[in-house]
Amino acid sequence: MTTATSTAATTWTTTRGPLAQAASMTARSLASIRHQPAQLVDYLMIPMMILLSITFFMGGQMMGSWQAFLDYAGPTLIAMGLFFAIVSTGLGLFADIKTGVFDRLTAMPVSRFALLAGRVAADMIKHLWALLIVGGVAFAIGYRADGGVLGVAGAAAAVMLFLFASSWSMALVGLTAKSEEQIQTWMVSLLMPLAYTSTMFVEIETLPGPVQWWARVNPLTALADTMRVLLAGETPGGEALALLGWCAAILAVFVPLSLRAYRRKLTS
Amino acid sequence: MKYAIEVRGLVKSFGEVRALDGVDLGAAPGTVLGLLGPNGAGKTTAVRVLSTLSVPDAGSARVLGLDVVRDAAKVRERLGLTGQYAGVDAGLSGAQNLVLIARLLGASRAQAKARAHELIERFDLAHAAARPAGGYSGGMRRRLDLAASIVRRPDVLVLDEPTTGLDPTSRSGLWEVVRELVAEGTTVLLTTQYLEEADQLADSIAVIDSGRVIASGTPSQLKQAVGGLVLRMRPARPEALQQLAELADWTVGAAPRIENDEVAVPVAHPGEATAVMARVVQAGTDLAAFGLHEPTLDEVFLSLTGHRTEQKEEVAA
Repeated sequence: MTTATSTAATTWTTTRGPLAQAASMTARSLASIRHQPAQLVDYLMIPMMILLSITFFMGGQMMGSWQAFLDYAGPTLIAMGLFFAIVSTGLGLFADIKTGVFDRLTAMPVSRFALLAGRVAADMIKHLWALLIVGGVAFAIGYRADGGVLGVAGAAAAVMLFLFASSWSMALVGLTAKSEEQIQTWMVSLLMPLAYTSTMFVEIETLPGPVQWWARVNPLTALADTMRVLLAGETPGGEALALLGWCAAILAVFVPLSLRAYRRKLTS
Repeated sequence: MKYAIEVRGLVKSFGEVRALDGVDLGAAPGTVLGLLGPNGAGKTTAVRVLSTLSVPDAGSARVLGLDVVRDAAKVRERLGLTGQYAGVDAGLSGAQNLVLIARLLGASRAQAKARAHELIERFDLAHAAARPAGGYSGGMRRRLDLAASIVRRPDVLVLDEPTTGLDPTSRSGLWEVVRELVAEGTTVLLTTQYLEEADQLADSIAVIDSGRVIASGTPSQLKQAVGGLVLRMRPARPEALQQLAELADWTVGAAPRIENDEVAVPVAHPGEATAVMARVVQAGTDLAAFGLHEPTLDEVFLSLTGHRTEQKEEVAA
């Protein structure tokens, strides 16, 4: 071990705010991709398999031909697959906390919000990557939007916004779960029923009576309807407002709850 | 400010378990306080309270005069933590880990890189700087961890069992770095299960058992309390036993005992043992074997508490 004494200034006068700190944490999450590129495949597999398997294996029975089903449900299936992949935010935080890295970060003068937001933001970039790839696959197998590039961009923005909000609920799950299995269970017992009782890939009239009421207010219905309107090149209205309202509500509930759970978990 | 670290009547329970049961500690600025105890004694809980990761049920803890609960944010500005589980990101390279910490602490990109480079050199990690920390050996990980906790030089550094599981070379390397930091004015709180480690580094030691401080003082005070070092010599010819004992008595006057085929000489410090050995060499007495024996933590405990160290699970916070 060398005995060179410190020469660089180690009192940095610049104060970087929570957003700059969050950006550092985002960069940290993304930097690990270089050493573990396989995690990109993890983010991609769920949406990819959902799009391809449901379209090819079930689409024909649901709408006569898989091409017709792809036109109706392709984009929303991608959204659903990405929605299931938000579980990775919970798993990622759970792993971070388990390793002791967050003990160090928590004992440092760093905003708690930045530590969580950094993870969520990095996951958004990974989701966006998966969206581009799976979207490309949908295009390759014949999906075309009447709304053109603008419509597709609008629908993608709607998905990303919803993923951003709902990832905070998975942050809470990751901070409160006792095991990784528990987080996976959340996905099956919460995310799946939510998606299947929406208009993601079924029409509302085909659902059982009592579920129809829920399907109308389901946030994923708001997302699916907003996407369809945008992809069709129409002007969004009530469904887009419902989506924005849901996103705001989810953030208003889960950001504070996640921060509270963080405090309880790491400074008990 | 008399103490850089000051703990008074600290109590922390986890359910039924009183991990800390009225602990008092004090470390003067620029000194090393060793917290010595077996697994489950409450060492990690004390570390977590001091580093603002745990809120005590009763009592107070101050770092540089700042209360760790009320002034937690200010404490975090001035304290560095090396936890028991290496707090480095396995997915990042060694250099990336240090850059991240520096960036979070407000360094510019260039400053962060410069500081990371400097620490990588200082901690002898240059050959592995670009590799993911997940693949580091135990010793390298600990060094990186220690480097990460001094990215911005802390006034108080808390080390929770920094050398547990390390080989002797890595251990003494780490001790060297801790000594350098203390020489630069850092106050250190160090927990350890090894009496030798506390002896090597600490200016004062608090022995902790079942959440209570059962003894405290300087290393030599503590060793005197438990019997201190013993020099054992076995002459090549048994006839020389008496002569050896007289030589030792004459040199250090510490009432040597003849035990079987050995002479056991209580000594206050290694220097006395060297003096005895020099005498023995001078007298031309052949030795079959000799050794300097320290009381083990187990013996310290036996002597202080009347019971042996129990292997309990460390209470997780």
